[in-house]
Amino acid sequence: MTRYIIRRLIAMPFLLLGIITIAFFISHNTRGDPLISIIGERQMENPDVVAAAKARWGLDKSLPEQYAIYVGNLTTGDFGTSLRTKRPVAQDLLDRLPATLELVIAAMLAGSLTGIVLGVIAARFRDSGIDHLARLWALIGSSTPVFWSGLILLYVFSVALGWLPGPGRLNARTLPPETITGFLTIDSLLSGNLQLFRESLYHLILPALVLGWTVMGIVSRLVRVSMLDVLSQDYIVAARARGARELRVLFNHALRNAMIPTLTIIGFTFAYLITGAVLTETIFSWPGIGSYAVDAARNLDYPAIMGVTIVGGMAFLLSNLLTDIAYAFADPRIRLR
Amino acid sequence: MTKLYRRSHFARWRAAALLCISLTAAASFPALASAEDKPLVIVRDIDINSLDPARAWCDTCQIYLSNVYETLIGLGTDNKSLVPRLATKWEANADQSQFTFTLDPDAKFSDGSPVEAKDVKWSMERLKNVKGDASFMMDAVRSIEAKDAKTVVVTLTGPNSEFLNILTAPYTGVANSVEASANGAAAGEDAATADKGEAWFLAHSAGSGPYMLAEYKPGDVLRFKANPNYKRSAVAIGDIVIKHTKDAVAQAQMLQSGGADIAMQIDPDTAKTISGGELSVETVPSYNFLYVALSPGAKDGGKLASKEVRQAIGYALDYDGIIEFTVGGQGKKIPVAIPNGFPGTDGLPEPKQDLAKAKELMAKAGAADGFEINATFPNMNAYGVDLSLLIQKVQQDLDKINVKLKLTPVEFSVWRDQVRGDGIPLTTVFFAPDYYGSAQYVQYFGMMEGTPWWKRAGGATDASITNAKTAELLTKVLAAGDAEKPAIYKEIAQTMIDDRIIIPVVSPDLVLAHAKSVTGLRYSACCNLLMNELGLK
Repeated sequence: MTRYIIRRLIAMPFLLLGIITIAFFISHNTRGDPLISIIGERQMENPDVVAAAKARWGLDKSLPEQYAIYVGNLTTGDFGTSLRTKRPVAQDLLDRLPATLELVIAAMLAGSLTGIVLGVIAARFRDSGIDHLARLWALIGSSTPVFWSGLILLYVFSVALGWLPGPGRLNARTLPPETITGFLTIDSLLSGNLQLFRESLYHLILPALVLGWTVMGIVSRLVRVSMLDVLSQDYIVAARARGARELRVLFNHALRNAMIPTLTIIGFTFAYLITGAVLTETIFSWPGIGSYAVDAARNLDYPAIMGVTIVGGMAFLLSNLLTDIAYAFADPRIRLR
Repeated sequence: MTKLYRRSHFARWRAAALLCISLTAAASFPALASAEDKPLVIVRDIDINSLDPARAWCDTCQIYLSNVYETLIGLGTDNKSLVPRLATKWEANADQSQFTFTLDPDAKFSDGSPVEAKDVKWSMERLKNVKGDASFMMDAVRSIEAKDAKTVVVTLTGPNSEFLNILTAPYTGVANSVEASANGAAAGEDAATADKGEAWFLAHSAGSGPYMLAEYKPGDVLRFKANPNYKRSAVAIGDIVIKHTKDAVAQAQMLQSGGADIAMQIDPDTAKTISGGELSVETVPSYNFLYVALSPGAKDGGKLASKEVRQAIGYALDYDGIIEFTVGGQGKKIPVAIPNGFPGTDGLPEPKQDLAKAKELMAKAGAADGFEINATFPNMNAYGVDLSLLIQKVQQDLDKINVKLKLTPVEFSVWRDQVRGDGIPLTTVFFAPDYYGSAQYVQYFGMMEGTPWWKRAGGATDASITNAKTAELLTKVLAAGDAEKPAIYKEIAQTMIDDRIIIPVVSPDLVLAHAKSVTGLRYSACCNLLMNELGLK
């Protein structure tokens, strides 16, 4: 397995270069003017200002030249400067990635665990009231638009009941802890501030639930289908006939075999949410990669678009690798070579 | 057996659930923070493109710069009169081409160093030479002389009676030249390439305003702290946070839940949902407006070359209906592309729908059967108005005179590309003031050679687009004294109305939503929000 992992890791830079090349030329050939991020409407009519901006941002060079410069800079770790925030893209990404990871990990944990449990229960009590309820809950989760559920839950739990805080990673009046990892829950613990830890955890609940509900819907339906298939197998009947306890049958015998397709979808969803949790980030004012990506795309902020592409590409490549490794653990018959 | 097992199984689940509930209760989640001893929180969409006074250009930038970098002249609470700021007094020569400013002897930057004439000269020259968005404000400047430490003389290339108004714009704020220069900023003629100060300005401030930059995280937060060296007026609130909250509904929820004290971009529909005895919601007229623009010179815009057709379009629009449809009646009609209340707008007739006249004009132009034109528009919300709703209403209105609009929503970047390329025969877009003064609107919307909308309308290829009278009157007003200006601006406004290239349709009201404990909140024409006027009860 080690050789397999090393081989996949070696291939990653080449795959990333392919992603970068395709994304670079597609983004630079879309309709629209990147100067929108740099120059206001009035000064777009001023040739001196336009020329100065193009020279400053290298937009006066040919596309192949821009590509060569960009790739050359990447080899030194320079992702360029965002046309919109005017800060190094690497700095923007480092500021925002922990926020996204903190949210996505919490949502994936909540969504995957509840989804798996719900899927198992639904399969175990097939066609009963419990099954129908579980399926309805999953259906609502996977089909309700996040912007709607987010706003409704915010209204109910934050405005009407006052049980949970409003948008943001922390109360806007609170100073964040010193940045160590960028994960507020971890940094507040590392700084020994339990009050801040609780506040950051508290702020994580609603967005993680909203995002996790969608994940739960997808996972539970998949687990249910896989479990139904597995539960009808002879070895399950045999296990029950031998007097194995139901929990052992469900989780040790059935679930483990039903997890392969679920692992694929969990891995894919995790990678997707790194750049795809846009609506949740917008509604909850969560300063993550998703909202950064959308702003970059809307403003044709090429360096930022490329930075997000690299992060997204890396997320997919790594999650694929981790999913493959997880297969081997879930099913010992699978050998990675 | 199975039943027994199942009962035992659920009993364990119940126990686990009870344990979770107990732990949750024991965790004693923190209560929502109270406003006491905490910063004042403002929620808005932080649209910052820079914090460098010579490069910034956005609504939030106006707020930031107004509160961090003082200008020579301020705008009074009536949003019209000029009041002293860094300059305690000023005088103009007879033809308004040279201005002398005397600086406040007590003015200090946040690092404690005095504000001197050299800083004013450096800041103005930098604004002009870095060729940023606001550099046009210094286009008229020929030279700036620091006569002594506290006297600045600005000489213009010609008369400009609006120059003092320009100096109220936050973009003309004065920065500490020594500190900024030491961190890469340059002001010389080669500043467009030599200046490297922007990155420093994103993390530091060097102004003499009531506040200093405490922290800026793009797309997240902008924190201010009071400048201890600011003595012009008392600053009641030590720390102010602008929290990035893009969505109007989320802004309202933050306000209602006590997470914010001021919500800045609540649209009228959302305002109706805000309730609570501790909150105040009021609407005030704004100086922002949305307009329909016609471009005869655009590809397939030929029929619009007829002034009668353009006038017919103006008469066909249901202005009251547009205001009702787009902002629920919370807006004002606007006769010309100059904000209501600005010089020259008093007494102008309000636009109104007259379908009979519109049809008569269409017939006179030989276009009674109508025509179809492209109407590409930016698919966005501006100042609480959804542009797609606005243009759908325009489409309905123009259908009544057989002008069919082919609506094409696009991203703003694509719209800008198109409007400057082949052109767009009919579109809708928005405008907001940079300072109190009407010349800026004439120079942007007037059908004079070189203005942005003259180019877009096809002025370069169609001589009939150019209105020589507008240019002539503008020259006259820029050399005129205060007493004559309103009448001349009114004449200019009439020429702009007659051209019917720009047809303003609504000036949306501004919703001021805040906790009742906040005092001193008002809308400023130059600066949006002046934080040093805020207080807490």
